[in-house]
Amino acid sequence: MSGAGFRSRPSVAASLLLPLALIAIATLVGTNGTPSLHGTVTLILCNLIVVLGLQVFVGNSGVYSFGQLGFATTGAYVAALLTLPAAFALLQTPGLPSFIVDAQLGSLLSTLIAAAASGLLAMVVGLPLMRTSTLAIPISTFAFLIVVYNIVANWDRVTGGSSGLVSIPTTTSVESAGLWAGAAVVLALAFKWSASGYRLQATREDEVAARSIGINVMRERLIAFGISGVLCGIGGALAVHQSGVLNPTTFYFGATVTTMTMLVVGGVRSVFGAVIGAIAIATVNEVLRGVEDGASLFGAISIGEAPGLAAIGLGLILLATMIAMPNGLSGGREAGELPWLRWLGMRASASLPESYGAEPNRRPVDPAVNGALRAERISLAFSGLRVLREIDLELEPGEALGLIGPNGAGKTTLVNVLSGFQEPDSGTVTLGGVDVTARSPTRLAHDGLGRTFQAALPFPHLTALESVAVGAMGVGVSRRRAAAAAAEVLDRLNLLEQAALPAGALPPGGQRLLGIARALAIQPRYLLLDEPAAGLNEAECEKLVAILRSVLEDFGCGMLLIEHDMSIVMELCPRVQVLDDGATLRVGTPEEVQADPAVVESYLGSSFLVAADA
Amino acid sequence: MTALGQSLIDALALGSLYALIALGITLVYTVMGMMNFAHGEFIMLSAYALYVFAGLPFAAAVAGSLLSGIVVALLAERVAFRPVRNADLSAQLVTSLAVAAILQNVVTVAVDARAQSVETPTSISESTSIGSISVPNLEFVTLGLTAIVLVGLGWLLYRTRTGLAMRAAAENFDMARLLGVRADRVIAIAFAISGALAATVGVLIVMQTGQVSPTMGLTPVLVGFVAVVIGGFGRMFGAVIGGLLLGTLSSLLGAYLPEGLVAFRDAIVFTFPVLILIFRPHGLLGGEIGKARV
Amino acid sequence: MLELREIRVSYGRTEVVHGVDMSVGRGETIGMIGPNGAGKSSILRAICGLVRPSAGEAAFENRVLTGMAPEQIARLGLALVPEGRHIFKTLTVAENLRLGTRSDSEGAAWMEQTLERFPIFRERGHQRADRLSGGEQQQLAIARALLGRPKLLILDEPSLGLAPKTIDVVYELLQSLRDEGMTMLLVEQNAARTIDFSDRCVVLSTGKVRAQGSRSELQRNPDVLRAYLGRQP
Repeated sequence: MSGAGFRSRPSVAASLLLPLALIAIATLVGTNGTPSLHGTVTLILCNLIVVLGLQVFVGNSGVYSFGQLGFATTGAYVAALLTLPAAFALLQTPGLPSFIVDAQLGSLLSTLIAAAASGLLAMVVGLPLMRTSTLAIPISTFAFLIVVYNIVANWDRVTGGSSGLVSIPTTTSVESAGLWAGAAVVLALAFKWSASGYRLQATREDEVAARSIGINVMRERLIAFGISGVLCGIGGALAVHQSGVLNPTTFYFGATVTTMTMLVVGGVRSVFGAVIGAIAIATVNEVLRGVEDGASLFGAISIGEAPGLAAIGLGLILLATMIAMPNGLSGGREAGELPWLRWLGMRASASLPESYGAEPNRRPVDPAVNGALRAERISLAFSGLRVLREIDLELEPGEALGLIGPNGAGKTTLVNVLSGFQEPDSGTVTLGGVDVTARSPTRLAHDGLGRTFQAALPFPHLTALESVAVGAMGVGVSRRRAAAAAAEVLDRLNLLEQAALPAGALPPGGQRLLGIARALAIQPRYLLLDEPAAGLNEAECEKLVAILRSVLEDFGCGMLLIEHDMSIVMELCPRVQVLDDGATLRVGTPEEVQADPAVVESYLGSSFLVAADA
Repeated sequence: MTALGQSLIDALALGSLYALIALGITLVYTVMGMMNFAHGEFIMLSAYALYVFAGLPFAAAVAGSLLSGIVVALLAERVAFRPVRNADLSAQLVTSLAVAAILQNVVTVAVDARAQSVETPTSISESTSIGSISVPNLEFVTLGLTAIVLVGLGWLLYRTRTGLAMRAAAENFDMARLLGVRADRVIAIAFAISGALAATVGVLIVMQTGQVSPTMGLTPVLVGFVAVVIGGFGRMFGAVIGGLLLGTLSSLLGAYLPEGLVAFRDAIVFTFPVLILIFRPHGLLGGEIGKARV
Repeated sequence: MLELREIRVSYGRTEVVHGVDMSVGRGETIGMIGPNGAGKSSILRAICGLVRPSAGEAAFENRVLTGMAPEQIARLGLALVPEGRHIFKTLTVAENLRLGTRSDSEGAAWMEQTLERFPIFRERGHQRADRLSGGEQQQLAIARALLGRPKLLILDEPSLGLAPKTIDVVYELLQSLRDEGMTMLLVEQNAARTIDFSDRCVVLSTGKVRAQGSRSELQRNPDVLRAYLGRQP
């Protein structure tokens, strides 16, 4: 878990201090504290594990699930039923099969089984749910929460129904809770910094760009959902073995709001945020509950008992956070990314991964894919407007083709068709002779087709190095190799100095170059660039030309360049295709095209022909 | 035959109730793009108004309930939702969750966490016979109210200038503003109507169950969400269809499920939309998620 | 009538308009041209209140527009016909038009006059607006804008996606408006017609004004062609 060169050693070490701190505190409390303090701290740690489960899914995917506590319920009931002493089991859960009644498992084993059960349920439930849209997921997970509640509250003979279960062995000690919490933090960090975690984060940052680098959105969400289910199940199991009682409302709506508040207040994107959010809100909760129970605050005034005040307070805190401080206390940063490292003179993010300089991973030459990229008679209409009319296009590996034409001519639409983002009404796109017209952008990225977009579509919260590396991870390269490959690409594009900066902090020209770097990271056979020079000044343009030329030579890819800047087109593209009003106007060398009266007319009108000749 | 007829009317009545919930949620969704978690609490608070105004004649209490629903909705919009109007969908969703939690607990603190009983006119709990079918009066009221609401809403949306502005804002908010449509006013009206619809549902639920509790809004809001999702986001018509379908399913299951499974009716009902979503990710009628911008 | 002073527009950290000055006098028709990404639409959005300029000021008849909501700016007498027309597809033609009027009572007489100008909408009032052809939709968008009796009509790429003959029809309409004294700001990526049509044109590229002037002035200016087909100066 070295961060594979995405963060410096001190940064990783700092982030790992967190789980160690949790274990240390737990042990300290365990040896020195009162029993009631034990109880409180244990519950906070269990809550923390559930919040971490929430963070793994919500934080990395950017999608809110309101059903994760259904997995906590599952874990809790499984753990409880496996450990309930036989005498109580007969009374409360007469319908339980005898092999479960007789199995009086220890704390560790029951927790592990609970974790497995929740994880399995998460994968089963997640499979259909992750296929739905980003807005349907919160609603369907909310439905899941209520379904779980409904089943557990009504399956009297097995779960004890709405009265719940009592006399569950209280086997969770503070120390063990601390260990589990520490392990949960390590798991959450390990996932976030794994290839799968990075791919998922890419979908959160920009789903369209993520698809274009070969990331399967549904699969990555499902993996996180499963891990989330496991963590929530563990939290539930441990909690129930601390309190000794369980009923269907233990992990229901109230707990959903509380854990969601903890996550949001701490900072959704960060594991560290989840921890400090959990601790902060738990503390606030205890204070508010103390107030509720009639504690005298200022001596003379005493506030009477009022159940629910604490919950109102938490709701207000959540509201205030959403309005005023949406990034939470941590600002989305991990422990090792906070400014204090800089004060100590150390860098948080690495510019050069350890494996830089080693032979980069070259995509093996695949004869099937190496044929030409060909579009034949592509036609497309949007609500009656014909945008593409019988367009043909051919691109061989190693050649550069310029695509020019006035706005609205259909250039970007054509690139969308070629890259799988848009299906044409008629016509075919073939890659090395294979029909790929209906293939998704994700699949095409794996086939070696990369593209950039008119808007840079950066991954604002990932560093430049990470943004590019995730391109390689999108097509299945390991994290370590991806980091090395990314560094090489960044070096080629003169961006290596900015490798440690968040992509959102780069100037617009840099962000566009980063988009090109990201597309290069998938080792494309074909690169479709949509106005790469837009917004660049003269010096930057010259550099871009040099970069693109070196890419053509070294990568041997076919390059399609949508450009308005004719100087770039002239230097790079031996062949230029002019589109006007959805049809091909002319194909030829840049000089031919520039002098062609029809082309000048399409841009500026016939009156300019006279002026141009003059 | 009579049993079937009975079941059908029961199903229609329940479906109408669900349609009303779905309509309230869709109205806000179409102008703001937000699925309002707190809608369930609008329902709950309006129901509690009946409890609070229990001493008054029933008609007055209902009027009070209607007013409460509208006021709460407008307040929530002004205080909580307006500041996050331009934030992304997730932020709005979580904000509405916060509002829901606050409202739920305000009632818990102000009244009690336990359910309270509310007296409703006895005529409601009686039944009237039509031919061989005996229909509870409440179902007549439900069907009648729903019909009035649908007609009223239809008139508002399709025959008045305000409704025109709302439909335009629903399709393309920015373009509507460019034509002079006042954003704040349109959103406020949508919330007010949503609150009124919530109050209607709240009153009907109280008349059915005879009690109110702070958590009574949770299942209805889920029902509304699910109905909207089934019918297709952002379509009024879809919301009605979704509600009717869900209500019919729920009612029929309640009538014909074998003894042991009746308690799990809700679980089955809410699993059903997931199946629909797998095959039709945009709902039965298809819908647009997110809003068109200039 | 309309004055832009040092307008800068940013989306997040990216500045796309780097300090633009411009003015539109009463009765004038000003064209704004330049290649894609020049910032033309961003300037229009800033004028109409859809986006707040990061610096600079826009003033209409000496009233400062910056910071006002779009609906307030519309009520001052600025009408925007946006790129892509954005007619309400789920509404009928008649409903689209009705939205253009300030109020039903005020709009009635003016509606009559407008329908004289666009007889086709009288017949097809009850049809859903998405049944219209591209050119008809463009005319609907203009008619809708006119119904508000604007003092300044702003059109963003009115010829986008239209066949040449249809563009002729649209520009005939614009000419008749101009003859009646309407002040217009016209944004087009395709410069041909705009230069011919407008009193003055402003040539934008990469967020800055590169050239300004009448048709004859621009034709003598090599920067114009370069903005489209050569390196950015």
